[in-house]
Amino acid sequence: MSQTAAQRFLQDAALKSADLVHREIIQRGMDSYDSAHLKGRARIKDWEAARQKCQEIKREAINHLDRYLLQFEEKVISRGGHVFWAANAEEACTYVKNLATRLGVRTVVKSKSMVTEEIHLSPALEKVGIKVWETDLGEFIVQLRDEPPYHIVTPAMHLNRGQIAKLFREKLDPGIESDDPVDLMAAARRILRQAFFAAEMGISGANFLVADAGVVAISTNEGNGRLCTSVPRIHVVVTGIEKIIPRLEDLAVLWPVLATSGTGQGITTYSTLIGGPRQPGEVDGPEEFHVVLVDNGRSQLLADAEQREVLHCIRCGACLNICPVFRHVGGHTYGTTYPGPIGSVLTPHLAGIKEFKHLSYASSLCGACSSVCPVKIDLAHHLLQNRRNATVARTTKSSERLMFRAWRYAMLHPRMYALGGWSMRKALRMIYSLGLAGSILDPMRVWNRHRSPVPLPSESFRARWRKGRGAN
Amino acid sequence: MVQTSEAQTEKPQTEHSSRDRILQRIRAGLRTVVPEPAAAGSDRVIVGPTINEPVIFEPVVDPLERFQQECVGNLMECALTADSAASAQQLSKVLQSLPEGETFVQDDPLLRLLIDLAAPERPIRWSSQGAPGEASQATVTLAEALIAQTGSILVTASCGGRGASVIAPCHIVYATLAQLVPDLATALSRISQQRKLDRNSFACVISGSSRTADIEKILVQGAHGPRRLVVILQTGT
Repeated sequence: MSQTAAQRFLQDAALKSADLVHREIIQRGMDSYDSAHLKGRARIKDWEAARQKCQEIKREAINHLDRYLLQFEEKVISRGGHVFWAANAEEACTYVKNLATRLGVRTVVKSKSMVTEEIHLSPALEKVGIKVWETDLGEFIVQLRDEPPYHIVTPAMHLNRGQIAKLFREKLDPGIESDDPVDLMAAARRILRQAFFAAEMGISGANFLVADAGVVAISTNEGNGRLCTSVPRIHVVVTGIEKIIPRLEDLAVLWPVLATSGTGQGITTYSTLIGGPRQPGEVDGPEEFHVVLVDNGRSQLLADAEQREVLHCIRCGACLNICPVFRHVGGHTYGTTYPGPIGSVLTPHLAGIKEFKHLSYASSLCGACSSVCPVKIDLAHHLLQNRRNATVARTTKSSERLMFRAWRYAMLHPRMYALGGWSMRKALRMIYSLGLAGSILDPMRVWNRHRSPVPLPSESFRARWRKGRGAN
Repeated sequence: MVQTSEAQTEKPQTEHSSRDRILQRIRAGLRTVVPEPAAAGSDRVIVGPTINEPVIFEPVVDPLERFQQECVGNLMECALTADSAASAQQLSKVLQSLPEGETFVQDDPLLRLLIDLAAPERPIRWSSQGAPGEASQATVTLAEALIAQTGSILVTASCGGRGASVIAPCHIVYATLAQLVPDLATALSRISQQRKLDRNSFACVISGSSRTADIEKILVQGAHGPRRLVVILQTGT
């Protein structure tokens, strides 16, 4: 029998949290992010006001999503671009695939785009014989390893330089000796440079779709996104409908806030705006420009009064970085395109609550995610709402429902509760004394399997309370 | 869940049917009323864009000083020159430090003049001759504006095209002090007002040389774009 997503999650989480190399790499990566992020925030005079502003911008955009998308579309078309609305992953992939086939595309260069991961665009293109190059260094590394991105901003943060050097030697050039990041970057640059100039099509995502100017805004540091959108003769943008913002001027806050939350930079090195194909009189640029607006479940969230704001997300990765669960189990354990708190909230909506309801429990409810979110999405509470939604939708196991019914009964009947506590203490004492802690007979097995049992109290809390010792 | 009457109107997949279906779903979803969250600190009265808006970014007092500071932080070079002769000299110095090879230059009378003074003997490809070649050693362009707040240059397709600022390992920008604006907000609202994006398919705020930190979060300068970004900022005429 194949494992469920929840079983896989538990298994991978246990493995990853015990993987000391992984722990060390993530610890170091997160430490360096933490200090850069704090320094970056200190550069902004009023961080809370900046978050407030970003929240207002995104709320305004999402609350008038239809209007702003149409405004964006009209502008893009007026410059000679094409806009395709894809209801789901299949429609989006088919559109890009047909476009590529029709225009004789054999090689595609891609800059980072989580939406293309979400809709599995690369495998769809490869199936029809098109070579796809991921050109962001981190994406390039995980593509060589044939694995999905580990993190939405830094896709290869789970690997150290030694592992990457070894990978490059195996997959690219056995002559690569050094494991210095400078040399590894140079090796990737050499190879990808050829791809940029050979490719007929560049595919990018978008960080924002600016309605009034009718342009896509793409933030990159490496310049790969720039090359993907400048050199090949076709440029395709694949992005979610929720990326819209009303005005160009909104970027004066959104750009710095995105960069600060993403990497701690004041602004990303290349903050690019593209509104169409090469215009008459321009020196270069693609002859064709297509924007694929992907819905794929997003429009359903609009009708969710509690969780519409999840569509405000700008994919900065800050909630992943601060999440104690992410830091321990790592990105791949989630088994989803979007890991971490935002992924745990979003995935049940996009991919089904039944299969992904367990992610709502991949949280200590500490609220750290809500506190860092630059657009003030209340992620911790959305996780709680998803827990409730899963229960209301009766996606939970009948044994679990039975247990909670018993619990509810006990909570409403103090004598039953006391009796339950008493018999549990007796039973556990016996099981522990027989050395059966953590065994199949132990009701506390889930905890005791990997830990020494918590010492049992001699009497119940209620008894202690009556004796006036409740306070200690 | 929004399951409207789509089922009956299901047609064979055309570009149009999805567009309308998505718009329908969006509009149906937006009919759900979402209460405005009681904003923390709601003592703030929203009267107009300028009244009672908290100041998010420290206002830039001395744009030139700030620009120079930010350039250092962004790992880019900024050379101040007094006049065009000094700018030409500076340009010549930078070009001489580079390996042999073609230099791509935005075809503009100002830059023609500057190149004549700075590097009459170097092989030049003008933007009027087409996009920069893969092996260009450097590109020389103008900018639409310089932004003090973030130490950025703002270019559009008019500044020698898209490839001019990303293909060669060194990008040299010639700008004057009059082009320096204090912050991003000013730069963006000017683009809007002057309708620059109606005439250009491309614009970019460039803040430093190309870089990556994808391996162990260690900063590597010079990823796929220029390793060097040099601004020759002329303060006099």
